[in-house]
Amino acid sequence: MYKLHLILKYLLKRRIAWVSLVAVTLCTLMVLVVISVMGGWLNMFKSSFRGLSGDIVVHSDGMAGFPYYERIIASLKKDSDIAAAIPSIETYGLLNFGRVATLPVKVMGIPIDEMGEVNRFPDSLYRQHVMLEDKLNDKTLAPEERKKLERILASPPSFDLLDEMTVPLAALPSDLPIEKIDPDQDQIPGTVKLPDTAPQDLRGRLRYDAVRKNLVFQGPMKVDWKDPLASLSADADYKRAVDTLFRESNTADLIDYSQLAKGRLTGMIAGTGVIGIHRNHNGEWEGRESWKTSTPVGLTVLDISGGGGVSVHDKVTRTYFIVDDSRTQVWQYDNNYVYVPLDRLQKDLGMNLQQVSDAAGNAINVPGRVTDIHIKVRARIDPNDEPALNRIADRVRSRVHEVMHGPHPPGGPTMYGPDPRVETWQETQRIWINAIENEKMLVVFLFGIISVVAIFLIFCIFYMIVVEKTRDIGIIKSVGATSAGVASIFLGYGLVIGVLGSGLGLLLSFLLVHNINEIHGWLGRRLGIVIWNPEVYLFDKIPNQMSFHDIVWIVPIAILASVLGALVPAIRAASVNPVESLRWE
Amino acid sequence: MSQAISNPAVSPPGADKTILRAAAVQKFYRSGEETLSILRGVDLNVRTGEFIAIEGRSGSGKSTLLHILAGLDSPNGGTVQFNGVNIVAISDRNLAKIRNREFGFVFQFYHLLPELNVLENTMLSPMIEFSTLGFRARAADLRKRAADLLNQLGLGHRLKHRSSQLSGGERQRVAIARALMNDPKVLFADEPTGNLDFETGRQIMAVLEDLHRRQGQTIIMVTHDRSLALKADRVLILRNGKLERPGGASDTEKVPAPEED
Repeated sequence: MYKLHLILKYLLKRRIAWVSLVAVTLCTLMVLVVISVMGGWLNMFKSSFRGLSGDIVVHSDGMAGFPYYERIIASLKKDSDIAAAIPSIETYGLLNFGRVATLPVKVMGIPIDEMGEVNRFPDSLYRQHVMLEDKLNDKTLAPEERKKLERILASPPSFDLLDEMTVPLAALPSDLPIEKIDPDQDQIPGTVKLPDTAPQDLRGRLRYDAVRKNLVFQGPMKVDWKDPLASLSADADYKRAVDTLFRESNTADLIDYSQLAKGRLTGMIAGTGVIGIHRNHNGEWEGRESWKTSTPVGLTVLDISGGGGVSVHDKVTRTYFIVDDSRTQVWQYDNNYVYVPLDRLQKDLGMNLQQVSDAAGNAINVPGRVTDIHIKVRARIDPNDEPALNRIADRVRSRVHEVMHGPHPPGGPTMYGPDPRVETWQETQRIWINAIENEKMLVVFLFGIISVVAIFLIFCIFYMIVVEKTRDIGIIKSVGATSAGVASIFLGYGLVIGVLGSGLGLLLSFLLVHNINEIHGWLGRRLGIVIWNPEVYLFDKIPNQMSFHDIVWIVPIAILASVLGALVPAIRAASVNPVESLRWE
Repeated sequence: MSQAISNPAVSPPGADKTILRAAAVQKFYRSGEETLSILRGVDLNVRTGEFIAIEGRSGSGKSTLLHILAGLDSPNGGTVQFNGVNIVAISDRNLAKIRNREFGFVFQFYHLLPELNVLENTMLSPMIEFSTLGFRARAADLRKRAADLLNQLGLGHRLKHRSSQLSGGERQRVAIARALMNDPKVLFADEPTGNLDFETGRQIMAVLEDLHRRQGQTIIMVTHDRSLALKADRVLILRNGKLERPGGASDTEKVPAPEED
């Protein structure tokens, strides 16, 4: 009875102990917030990574890819645990925006209508998903419009232009015909024929540039490459041409993009970062209306032979029309990747099914190649269950080996080096996930070390209390308390401090984590403090979910640490000699 | 103050029997190579209901002897038997139990717990004796006994006060109430008036005398004050580490000392 009574009395009367309580509270709060944000960040990464590939991926070791992918896919689909498998190609390319800017990009050829069967890539598309969802959230949306949007949302994604992007051709002057374009030509489409009224010195020097929805002056001009648009706008000849031809008209109104591109231009989806769309410090989109969106672009890739040989003479440049942008939330993807139709890329890379003749003039079918096969497992299997996924991956490996080394069509290649690698999504992304996991562990470790300070603080404060209470300990012992009983007072004291401190820390961290974005926004607005930069952390929102798993190990550790801090003072208290302590006032 | 302390130990069965016996008790302290002998073979028999005063000069070792008799300190040699049990040789747990249930202590400096109020300080022994549930089951009775004791000691109006709000005499009376709370077989008093003014000291002594005379409380008191020692049934002087009877001073020996057996 006396232990509990004294613990409560000490807790209420000894205010110095409140410092320990605050220390435990702050440490628990700090570790829980850090681990929640870092853990949430890691989960977002994992979720985003998994959303970009299949649960299991068959990778080619080189850019030449591997043949017989259709047969591998057919074999894989016989596995009862595999729901879908789709081929894709990954390569490198140069992306040219209206001869104004060129970027190195990673190019992924995908069968976009099937993509949703293996991952959540279609959800990342702005015009075909995100924007539609945003519009559907509008309660005032007319029922017909809602139905239309829902229909678009339900349909598989495509590389076609949306109706939304169609602009009426109403204002196009009759004397300003748009030249028919060849989508395979290495040129910016939409060449403009100048009317006779156009100044003679401008003839042959103007082209319509859908990049800028305006005219491009093709003469010698000074271009500031840091800001090519500004230099174009500042060019007097260019301005004169625009004034002459279009006066106050908006060029966008003059061109019907759908007429221009549908069926004639190949669509491309670009990562948001590739076309300059990004979140600013407030998490708002910037660059959505940039000159790079909804534009024809030139993509140059290199033909890589089945044997892996490369020649710069085999470059292929194709004009695409950017129809959508993808925000996967993973920086590496959003800033580097463009997505194009698989069959088109396959053709450009020379990886399509081809007929060649042998020395005797016999036709030989060279099978098409891809670099990856993305596999989706059945819904009953948890993709986070690594052992289960590994078992399926083993079976995939066998099937791939069986096809690669099995009987092949006459004339086709019998071997393409080693078998393609088969990896689970965790293995594929291991390098990134491990990096973030290590970062999380490092941060938690560092904050954990800081939290050890709390143990020392408790130790010091409790030691001080024990020294101060030496006489009281003597009194209690003289009235019949045992040494163990005295020790348990201080251990119990530490326990209560730990329980209350970690409880308070848990409550505060719950409030803080759940409102972290609001608090962060307020700090940004009022004080200009921006801690979470969406450009750096890729996600525009700070993760605000707490993990029960984290709570169940952090809170007990906080309590244990508190008891540990009280241990030495408790032992000292237990060893107090009552006679010594009572001898002097 | 003038009221008699109601103690169930009035004329306990087995009165006049030896309740506490010390034999050849030695205590010395070592400091480097030097050895300071405090007690050099003390023998003492205390009978039930006896009031013994141990007198001695400061530093003579009388408090050390009292602490050893009370099981608060351990001797370097000899035995201390309480009701036939050698408390020198028993476990810390059993010794604590004896201190809690059989002994009561009154110290020179009161030694009250500052966080507890008067009533709680008085109930410290049962608080230590019983578990939380056990205490709660008896809480009403224990509170009543504590309040009665305090009331009899003139502190009925101070139950909720803290020790810092009391005078020295009041604090010592609370200490006496705490010592009596467990109905002790032996009450040890270490210079109980040493920190009080004359009048307050006199009142405290009156309480102890009253306890002894009316309720037959066994008391062993240590004092350096001859006038206080004379209030006891038997006065022993600690000199050169041994207990002696006052030489030829029959007036200090109201009750003949029992034969040391």
